[in-house]
Amino acid sequence: MIAQTLSGTFLQPTLAMAPDVPAGIGTGPKWVLLIPFLAALAACLNGVYAAMGNKTRLPAWTTVALLAVSFFATLAMAMGFDGNAYTVKAFDWIQVHGESASFIANFSFYVDTLTIYWMLFVTGLATLIALYASEYMNHDLGVSYCRFFAAFGLFVFSMACLVMGDNLVMLYLGWEGVGLCSYLLIGYFYKKPEAVAAAKKAFIVNRVGDLGLALGLYLAYVHFGTVEYSVLFSDEKLLAYVEAAKVGAFDQIPAMAQWIALLLMVGAFGKSAQFPLYVWLPDAMEGPTPVSALIHAATMVTAGVYLIARFYPVFLISEHALPIVAWIGTITAFLAATIGMAQFDIKRIMAYSTVSQLGYMFAGLGVLTPTGGAYHVLTHAFFKALLFLCCGAVMHGFAGQLDLRKLSGIRRVPGWGIVSLGMLVGCLNLAGVPFTAGYFSKDTILAEAFVTPGASMIGWILLLTAGMTAYYTFRVFFRVFVGPTHYEAGDDHHDHDDDHAHGEEHHHDAGEHGDHHADGFHPHAPGWAINTVLAVLTVASLAATGLYFVGGSKDLGYKTKHYADTMVSASTASYHSPYSAHAFHDDHHGDDDHSGDHADDAHKALAGVGPRGAIDEPLMLFGKDPHKVMYYVSGIVGAIGIALAWVFHYAGRKTAGECRMDGVARLFGPIPRWAENKWYVDELYDAIIRIPLRVASHLMHWFDKLVVDGLVNLAGMMPRVFGWFVRPSQSGVLQGYAAGMVGGVAILLVVIVLAVRLGGGS
Amino acid sequence: MSEKLALIWPEFLLFMTTCVVMLTGQWPNASVRRLTPWLCAIGLIAAGGASMMAPPGDGLFPGLMGYSKLLTAGIGLMMLPLLVGTVDRKVERLAAEGVPFQPIRSNGAEFYAFFLFSLTGLMLVSSADDLIWLFLALELTSLPTYIMVTISTQGTRSQEAGIKYFFLGALGAAIFLYGFALLYGAAGSTDIPEIAAHFQANGVGSIGLLGILISLVGVAFKVAAVPMHFYTPDVYQGAASPVSAMLAFVPKAAGFLAIFMIAGVAGWGEDGRLPAEVDALLWIMAALTMTVGNVLALLQSSVKRMMAYSSVAHSGYMLVGVLAGPGIAGADAPFWQNGLAAVLFYLLCYGVMNLGVFGVLASLERRGEEADEIDDIRGLCKTVPHLGWVMVICSLSLLGFPPLLGFIGKIGLFTAGVSSNNIPLVLILGLNSAIAAFYYLRLVGAVYFEPASDTGFRASPYGSRHFASLLSAAGVILLLFVGNGLIKSADNASRPDSPTSEAAPPETDYRAGDDLHAGHG
Repeated sequence: MIAQTLSGTFLQPTLAMAPDVPAGIGTGPKWVLLIPFLAALAACLNGVYAAMGNKTRLPAWTTVALLAVSFFATLAMAMGFDGNAYTVKAFDWIQVHGESASFIANFSFYVDTLTIYWMLFVTGLATLIALYASEYMNHDLGVSYCRFFAAFGLFVFSMACLVMGDNLVMLYLGWEGVGLCSYLLIGYFYKKPEAVAAAKKAFIVNRVGDLGLALGLYLAYVHFGTVEYSVLFSDEKLLAYVEAAKVGAFDQIPAMAQWIALLLMVGAFGKSAQFPLYVWLPDAMEGPTPVSALIHAATMVTAGVYLIARFYPVFLISEHALPIVAWIGTITAFLAATIGMAQFDIKRIMAYSTVSQLGYMFAGLGVLTPTGGAYHVLTHAFFKALLFLCCGAVMHGFAGQLDLRKLSGIRRVPGWGIVSLGMLVGCLNLAGVPFTAGYFSKDTILAEAFVTPGASMIGWILLLTAGMTAYYTFRVFFRVFVGPTHYEAGDDHHDHDDDHAHGEEHHHDAGEHGDHHADGFHPHAPGWAINTVLAVLTVASLAATGLYFVGGSKDLGYKTKHYADTMVSASTASYHSPYSAHAFHDDHHGDDDHSGDHADDAHKALAGVGPRGAIDEPLMLFGKDPHKVMYYVSGIVGAIGIALAWVFHYAGRKTAGECRMDGVARLFGPIPRWAENKWYVDELYDAIIRIPLRVASHLMHWFDKLVVDGLVNLAGMMPRVFGWFVRPSQSGVLQGYAAGMVGGVAILLVVIVLAVRLGGGS
Repeated sequence: MSEKLALIWPEFLLFMTTCVVMLTGQWPNASVRRLTPWLCAIGLIAAGGASMMAPPGDGLFPGLMGYSKLLTAGIGLMMLPLLVGTVDRKVERLAAEGVPFQPIRSNGAEFYAFFLFSLTGLMLVSSADDLIWLFLALELTSLPTYIMVTISTQGTRSQEAGIKYFFLGALGAAIFLYGFALLYGAAGSTDIPEIAAHFQANGVGSIGLLGILISLVGVAFKVAAVPMHFYTPDVYQGAASPVSAMLAFVPKAAGFLAIFMIAGVAGWGEDGRLPAEVDALLWIMAALTMTVGNVLALLQSSVKRMMAYSSVAHSGYMLVGVLAGPGIAGADAPFWQNGLAAVLFYLLCYGVMNLGVFGVLASLERRGEEADEIDDIRGLCKTVPHLGWVMVICSLSLLGFPPLLGFIGKIGLFTAGVSSNNIPLVLILGLNSAIAAFYYLRLVGAVYFEPASDTGFRASPYGSRHFASLLSAAGVILLLFVGNGLIKSADNASRPDSPTSEAAPPETDYRAGDDLHAGHG
């Protein structure tokens, strides 16, 4: 479906506008508002269903239908886009007018190519995953089912606010909104302590990042006097800074302006689970799988990438921001991959893989290829959603079993063909096997890392990580989907209710599960909704490869290479590294004037690299075009990873639980165990943050209880004591009252006369 | 003369309604008698409409009339459904059983007529530009309430309350009449603008000052401020809840309008302060009133007595606004510096939210007896949920819990107090709000958290009382949305002689709020 629609006319957007945002921004058609508000409507309707006690699948169908319309509206927005960014205002929201400055943040949406690019996969995937969830969540029909889809709709609405908002406050609103929905959905099984703990962890860790985002927002307003994109990105000050940054003259840019990016970056690290704030994402897998697929793999966690891409000019003018982004991304990618290699829970492996791939995206942004980052977001969104949904199907069918030591050869179990095929396609993409979409998007980042001065170390680490990725990906595939058929049921098989912990009844057909307890366990194969979605996503993941070859454009004044490149280059994220100019113009050196201009934009890219003059020769890697070299190198590295997985986890494996790797792992001593325990990062955080806070809070508690409460109680006694003192005056006797009144008047007058007339000396 | 008449069209309409109501209230035919409250409603709507079209007056506060009369009509309209079923229950029951109706035993006609008379008096206070007029209007406001208290229940407690109220009211009236006489003596005129002009030209002088001080203390009876507050708990408790709700608003509003005028005679000077003595008197009264009111409310187990003391405390809050005056820069002051506007707006808030609490009490019955003790309303959210929630919303609003109406109202008093540099008084106000939280939260806790204690109280068969309670809670929430317009119109209403703002009475926003009441009336 996605593949077909992507072949529409909008693949060749007419990009009349220059990369810099034009000064005047028009208003767009009002129906664009349908995109966010239909999702909000879905949330509201599901709330109503919950109140009415609906016990059917109506919430799912409502959500799917409304999100589908929302998706088609996004498609229409994409097709109708004429290359000029525009805004659509829902209503006036915050308008504070001062004498010299005003603060304006309307409830209004900003549409440019980056918005369209992001919203296409957000609404598309949301629709598909809602359809998947309609089946996946069916053991929970009733209020919980409504609750799930209400939060789902609210999530899509918040995500739309985040991506489409035309100012930082809208972005912040969406940012907090998706955080809230993430919290609600991770904690969906709220009677399960792990789920509640995971939800809290996600929320609290994100608060750390959100603080950075909020401060960045304030600083952006303080420095540029606006939070509206249409004004901010055409701000003369900002444009001047960008020019200065291009020649490496960072000393001409005020430190305050440079801090904006550093603060926004912290927000991005939190939401996109980057080191050191990545710890919440693996735990977030406690939520239902569709949530993991949509929110914690495909869309919400890419919000950080969106933020940096959207604010790319702001990041360019900060001397240290992009290098930090690059390094943090690289560290995250590597660290998460090492942990992923040692896990046994397949969903958790996918979670660490997500963290790792997000690291790639950040590294891509950091090494000056927003295109690479954004392209990887898109390809990753499809194949990782696919992988998660396949794992979810396994979990759903095998009664919650996720341990790869207890599952094997699922391919041969009847009814699991589509799941296995989808898994294979997803794994091929994630491993970066040549000619898959994941291969091309990862290569873009790797190649840029190698050509950007000072970043070759990043390139090497990322290359190594690519090999590790291939290994752990196919470890899952070889263990679970092929090999001798053998499986054990998960905990849900024995005590359904405890694990799901709802107190709600499970609606399983007798026919489906009637033989549960007869002679062991029979997995139930996914139904049509899950299979359809998996099939669509499989096709879409394959078709995403095609995007690497179509959609290039020359309308921007220079040639863009493919669809993602075109979409990113026409937005505020537009930036073409001078070091990679040749990469995009490898065949056009002679006739493309613009490549020269770009090469002149010498940029002090990464810390430790001095300003560079014009680049006389195209940068080469091993004497070749870096992208072409990378095609081979990363292809070989990926193949090695897959081969290792084959040798250790497939060849000669007789049972589900034992393989050659068990012997090999012993050679590494305790290291695999450390990796399995996530390098004890959680324990470290406990020791350096949580325990001191606990101790301090206990101390504060006792101080509060003994000292503060004592004082407060004492103060609280005073009015009562006073009241007892005054009360006898209310005797109920008429004469007493009259005497009181007259006496009061007399006293008052005397006091006034004494105090003011005489005391004042007048 | 005809211009003067144009000013009192609302009063005139109310008076005509009163005459009709006096007849229909004791009509032999029961269905005509049942029409009486509806006729009152029509009269109030007509009066409200007329007050929107009234030209600006020529008193000290030209814009005051439009706002005050509309406020009177609006709150009156909200109270009306609550008053239904207060008197004549026995007579009506007998009539329904076939016993011939005896007008002599019926109180219905007087009850509604006096209600309208009292409201007429309140409207007249707002249009008073003469001391004699002011005195008569104040008494017209109060005298009917003495009788309403007395006839509101069958028991002896309401008779005792009525007697107390009457004698103490007469004492209060005597005090402020004495003050008025001194003012006349000092200025040689009973015309309020003339007195003000005289004082401005020649200084206030000892006699004038004494007149102002004594008048203020006397009028303090109407608003139940210390030291004239003694009657409140006994009277509120003795009267039936609907009448107590009325007592908490009508005489208080009249009193504050009168206080505006008397303080306006002394005038808020260039620096925005009243003359030192008047300032000191109001300061002491404000501080004592809120403290005594709140502290004594803490000790009550009877909700009505608690609300009586809370009514005292709220008067103290509003005195802070009076003290702040219309703002230092006079007509140019921003609305949040205008203490008088804050008082006018707070009167509206108080009228709406206070009604809810008494409404809940009036909507609970045990063999014709109304709820009073806090035990009677325990667990109300479970037993009679709509009343319980009204109690929660209105109590929180009275406490000034954001974002409810009472909070918005209190903000105005705070900002006015701060901008007039009465920081110590504002601190006292803040402390008192904290004390008040204690007993309002007790109400909230009793109805929401505590288990129901069956004291035999059931929802009243008079649906209109429930309606009035719900209306009050709805007002607490819905008026928030037009709050900005209401505050602006209160601001315009309390501008002393500013020729521009008076010309277009700013009722457009207020009308939205009034429709809210009128729509159901």
